[in-house]
Amino acid sequence: MNDPRVIAPNEPDYPVGLHDLEEPPALYVLGVTTTAPAVAVVGTRKCTRYGLNLAEAFGHALSRAGWTTVSGLAKGIDAAAHRGTLQGQGRAVAVLGSGVDVVYPVENTDLYRSILRSGGAMVSEYPPGTRPDRWRFPARNRIIAGISSAVVVVEAGVKGGALITARLAAEMGRPVLVVPGDVDRAASVGCNLLIRDGAHPVLGVDDLLAELELILGKPPNQTLPAASNIPATGLAIDDLPSIWGCTPAEALARLARMEIAGEARRVGDVVIPGSG
Amino acid sequence: MYAAATSVALVGGEARPVRVEAHVGRQSEAFKLSGLPDTAVREAKDRVRAAVASAGIRFPNRTVTVNLAPADLPKGGTDYDLPIALGILAASREIPPLRDAVVVGELALDGAVRAGSHAFGAGVLSARQHVPCLVATAVVGEAASIPGATAYGVASLADAVDLLRGGLGTVEPARPDTPTSEERAPDLADIRGQPMARRALEVAAAGGHHLLMHGPPGSGKTMLARRIIGILPPLEIADAVETAMLWAAAGRRRGLVVSPPFRAPHHTASKAALVGGGSGNPVPGEVSLAHRGVLFLDELAEFPRSHLDTLRQPLEEGVVSVARRGSSLDFPASFQLLAATNPCPCGYLGDGRRPCDCRPAILGRYRSRISGPLVDRFDLIVRVGRVEATDYSGPKGETSASVARRVEEARAAQLARGQINRYLEADDGRESKAARRLVAMAVGNAVLTARGGDRVRRVARTIADLEGAHQVEEHHMAEAVGLRGEWRDE
Repeated sequence: MNDPRVIAPNEPDYPVGLHDLEEPPALYVLGVTTTAPAVAVVGTRKCTRYGLNLAEAFGHALSRAGWTTVSGLAKGIDAAAHRGTLQGQGRAVAVLGSGVDVVYPVENTDLYRSILRSGGAMVSEYPPGTRPDRWRFPARNRIIAGISSAVVVVEAGVKGGALITARLAAEMGRPVLVVPGDVDRAASVGCNLLIRDGAHPVLGVDDLLAELELILGKPPNQTLPAASNIPATGLAIDDLPSIWGCTPAEALARLARMEIAGEARRVGDVVIPGSG
Repeated sequence: MYAAATSVALVGGEARPVRVEAHVGRQSEAFKLSGLPDTAVREAKDRVRAAVASAGIRFPNRTVTVNLAPADLPKGGTDYDLPIALGILAASREIPPLRDAVVVGELALDGAVRAGSHAFGAGVLSARQHVPCLVATAVVGEAASIPGATAYGVASLADAVDLLRGGLGTVEPARPDTPTSEERAPDLADIRGQPMARRALEVAAAGGHHLLMHGPPGSGKTMLARRIIGILPPLEIADAVETAMLWAAAGRRRGLVVSPPFRAPHHTASKAALVGGGSGNPVPGEVSLAHRGVLFLDELAEFPRSHLDTLRQPLEEGVVSVARRGSSLDFPASFQLLAATNPCPCGYLGDGRRPCDCRPAILGRYRSRISGPLVDRFDLIVRVGRVEATDYSGPKGETSASVARRVEEARAAQLARGQINRYLEADDGRESKAARRLVAMAVGNAVLTARGGDRVRRVARTIADLEGAHQVEEHHMAEAVGLRGEWRDE
């Protein structure tokens, strides 16, 4: 793996969006830089399984649609969004609160490596070797907001980084899209507050893609192959025989062939497009 | 004066002869019993004395010594009442010598002979040793149903005395019982929707494969599992007898029932209840009660890991060794394992319409309970999806009788090759190239583990048998891969 590079604000491949910050910092980058428009998917570490699934589905769908995704490599929603992106064979950018060569949290080491291997990038305003001090994390959120064209909040409590990212993004004029949730669920309270304050409620994967296209236009590259005739929202496995017009035995065989070819993946009751 | 009768002990579910020796001495009145009897056998003294009196025969007012041999066989229960009584009567010359007749039965105080638990065992010994057996009238058909057995029913001690005084050759032996089957087995027609799970159940039944069902609560996993009995082929008579004797060894009655047994122990069951054991005479556990049938573990993740580990030996070898002081005893335990589990503690992981509220750490712990080695033992892993409200009003499903016909044909093809596909070691050289390639790719792409690949090949063989195909084709293998759905440690 290459050594980290530093990009000054006046250099050509400095992310345009960061000029919206009051004092654009120099940026340390590990991996491949690009100026392609990106969408941030963020959320709390104290998330639910529901949130994790959604974040993964969002990461997947966004990357299939051609968006670069940005998140913070934290536990929970962040990691799920990165994972979904990798599964969608998309480009993931992780903005760190430590040096780009310092993995935090350690449990995301594999994810960190996978992102770099798959052509993604680690980005930080702190020099290599900087330790992950708590106070640096809120500051890194303004980088996430800055380099992204839009911010999607999957789950957020009343306090926390995700809410800060959303507020900073809104101040910079970035669209903020938020998943609504139960009013009494801690991991959704922040989201619901954002919606009350005018954020766009996201009603599902397709809704997210449609809304982004409406606000930002079509994503730059649509060259990724259509995976299969399985919609991003998935199909109920038990419905496959009637949808495909065949016996359950034939449907199981067909599903297995698609799984082996990487075109489909089972998640609970549904089958979703695969990563190949 | 001495006489002896033969009776039965069950060791590891097998019938062994027990010699009941009686001696009537000249000393003053006493009744001694030796040969490691348990409490129920020791109490036989009182029942025998009363029953003899009720039969209108004089009980010898001398020293009566009864010995059960060999002493190291476990002897329990009330089946030794009748042989003890007849042994004493023969020793006091009230009746002719018993020669080698096998005798079992419990005595009531009024002299009636009650059904004990050793009727089948008596029949087995009768056939093996070419001797007649005496069994309570109520269950004599069980003994008579053993091929080669000669069984006589006796309703009371007086009856038995008359029979022996008249000579066994003068009466007709009893006729065998007609095999019965579980009439109240629920029908698959009750299951609406669930096409994939139904198919999985059919394939599992056809090959005797172990099946894991996972899905949200209320999706019908338990309903499905209970319906496998209605589609499994009936037991052979010899197998039904073997099962009934195992049940008898556990102190449970099971007549000549040819429906395979279905056992569903609760997850709070003790290890001894599950695999057998006990402090005195070892008793078969649920794995042996499910011998030749189905062991259903509902809420698999709730079973203690240590209990699940004890299933390894029976799953691999078809027998379970129960350790005793200084030795161990083997019980047959060849069963088909069915298991059901929720996908997560709250039950809604992957449901799609209701979010799972489980914290990731708790979820991980739950999922890892059903992990690698255990999952690898299942040939089929199927997600049982939530049933839509509309499915309840949909058409009824195919009936069990109709599915059972296909299963029976597929089984016949397997038995013609020698064994059911659950025990298939490797492929029998009848897989098409395309089928081999497919399973190799599935393992290569990590859709399956290597062990999963072996499991899938057995299932593919069963799918081919269901189709009446000689060779395993690509589409059989593909379906088998499809029937081994994900259960990842998340």
